Amino acid sequence: MKVANRFTGPLERAGDCCWRIPKSYKEGMRVDGLIYADDKLIELIRQDPAPEQVANVAFLPGIQTASLAMPDIHWGYGFCIGGVCATDPQEDGVISPGGVGYDINCGVRLLRSELEFDDVAPHMKQLVENLFQRVPTGTGRGGKYRFDRDQLRELMGDGPRFLARRDLATERDIEFTEAHGCLDGAQPDYVSERALDRGYDQCGTLGSGNHFLEVQVVDQVFDRQAADVMGLDERMVCVMIHSGSRGLGYQVCDDALRLLRGAPAKYGIQLPDRQLACAPIDSPEGEHYLGAMRAAANFAWCNRQLLMWQAREVFEATLGRPWGEMGMELVYDVAHNIAKCERHRVGEREKEVWVHRKGATRAFPPGHEELPEAYHEIGQPVLIPGDMGRASWVLVGQPGSMSESFGSACHGAGRVMSRTAAVKHARGRRIDDELATRGVVARARSWKGLAEEQPDAYKNVDLVVDVVHNAGLAKKVARLRPIGVIKG
Amino acid sequence: MYETFEHTADLGIRASADTRQGLFAEMGLALFSVIVANLDEVRPVVRRTLRVEGQDPEYLLVDWLSELLYLYEHASYAASRIDVAFDADGMAAELAGEKLDAARHRREHEVKAVTYHELRVEQTSDGWMAEVILDI
Repeated sequence: MKVANRFTGPLERAGDCCWRIPKSYKEGMRVDGLIYADDKLIELIRQDPAPEQVANVAFLPGIQTASLAMPDIHWGYGFCIGGVCATDPQEDGVISPGGVGYDINCGVRLLRSELEFDDVAPHMKQLVENLFQRVPTGTGRGGKYRFDRDQLRELMGDGPRFLARRDLATERDIEFTEAHGCLDGAQPDYVSERALDRGYDQCGTLGSGNHFLEVQVVDQVFDRQAADVMGLDERMVCVMIHSGSRGLGYQVCDDALRLLRGAPAKYGIQLPDRQLACAPIDSPEGEHYLGAMRAAANFAWCNRQLLMWQAREVFEATLGRPWGEMGMELVYDVAHNIAKCERHRVGEREKEVWVHRKGATRAFPPGHEELPEAYHEIGQPVLIPGDMGRASWVLVGQPGSMSESFGSACHGAGRVMSRTAAVKHARGRRIDDELATRGVVARARSWKGLAEEQPDAYKNVDLVVDVVHNAGLAKKVARLRPIGVIKG
Repeated sequence: MYETFEHTADLGIRASADTRQGLFAEMGLALFSVIVANLDEVRPVVRRTLRVEGQDPEYLLVDWLSELLYLYEHASYAASRIDVAFDADGMAAELAGEKLDAARHRREHEVKAVTYHELRVEQTSDGWMAEVILDI
């Protein structure tokens, strides 16, 4: 259960569900660290080196208010997973590719339907089998969509609009995707040939690790009004997709870190971990990374769009009805590994800052100008995948996220067991059989992959969601339970 | 000799060897063993050579493993034998392996990248050791 280097530094109570690492903890910290957790979760978090990483992020030049971490925090590389940090370009603020991660714009989308559990229950085995056969999963499997160099560059410049021109996305799909699936300022020409090589047949593929495609059922509704607006109701069948920018995005991050090797010395930045390599936002290195990062983010939105499109096709083929007739509409798509320029109030001033979300979900409150009109009154859907045995959640952003966490909330359950420990824990067990007894049909390419992702390897997502709900960052709308899952 | 070690979200690889060239070769095999469950079934029938430039031993290790990862991603190639030699500008490697075949090889992990976090290349009293965390 434990990893070697447990955090032994200070964690002072800073509220009912907030803990502070004072900036006096390490020379070089510019702000405090703040971790959102209740008394139970903080004990799990102490067992992990992640709080040390929260303190390390506080070294970044231009960091505002605090180095933040959500209750699903766990040990990452450089930044912890579950981390949020905002930097101000006017105060020599930096951009750090490690604060976004290798999987640029890893994120989640939720597709609803008007099918009820009873409609799909007799077909579940076939449905999951068909999804597993048709949606590429795992390492080394390309997809059916292939784009040449010029097409890939166009795709990265335009996001899902590129797919709409090929009848692979609808206007409605685009409207309900964060940023309409397209960050301005993408520079596809900054994406290396090597990244294009890794990405050419991977748009519309799931990948492996913690990525998944799940068929879920709405288990319980907590906020009827918000659920109605999103078209969610008890017993309704949904599809949740978790994936990112695939090999293309990983390579963009890798290229940027290579480019930034000399940057800390060049710009006089002291860092406690090389993985935090960064450069001033307006430096040539910073601008290069941002141009390529935005292009990779747009690629990721296209990837999830194509995954969703294939899921719709499989539902059509399995159930024999057009997807439109089954009401299979996108509820929302949200990124949880990204850096974005946003307006936030810091102290007495409202200003533009670069918010790094590394395993954290944007959670804009009702009335925010970036929301689709339909969600203006309820706030932005915050999609929180749990583990494949228990539950996932839909929340909506609350005003507290703007005053406390740069418009952010948690992104998942958060691991509690290392991959090695999870495999040991699973020895002699059939995880797919165990999931079947919980009512979940699971298909995966690798036994080890399934063992590493077993429910016990994760914190209980319900506890994580309680913290962000009680802290006023996001509000519970609905709980979804898995009934089918495909993995790499 | 190589092995994996614990990391909460990802996976670490560690190797030791008498020499630095032996160490880099072992780390390469460790990376392929994370990708392919049955690396012993990879036949050393296709030879390839690689060059990686650089002086800093830790950056050189990341660059070397990243080259191998690209080779796998781009050509589905995995090596089961590796020889490394260092020179004034960096290193050269001779690989022996093959293109993976779904009928014979079990692919296990998708390695997203080779990270710099807690990266170590050290000379010890017994020889050399290295640790790298892979993003899974």
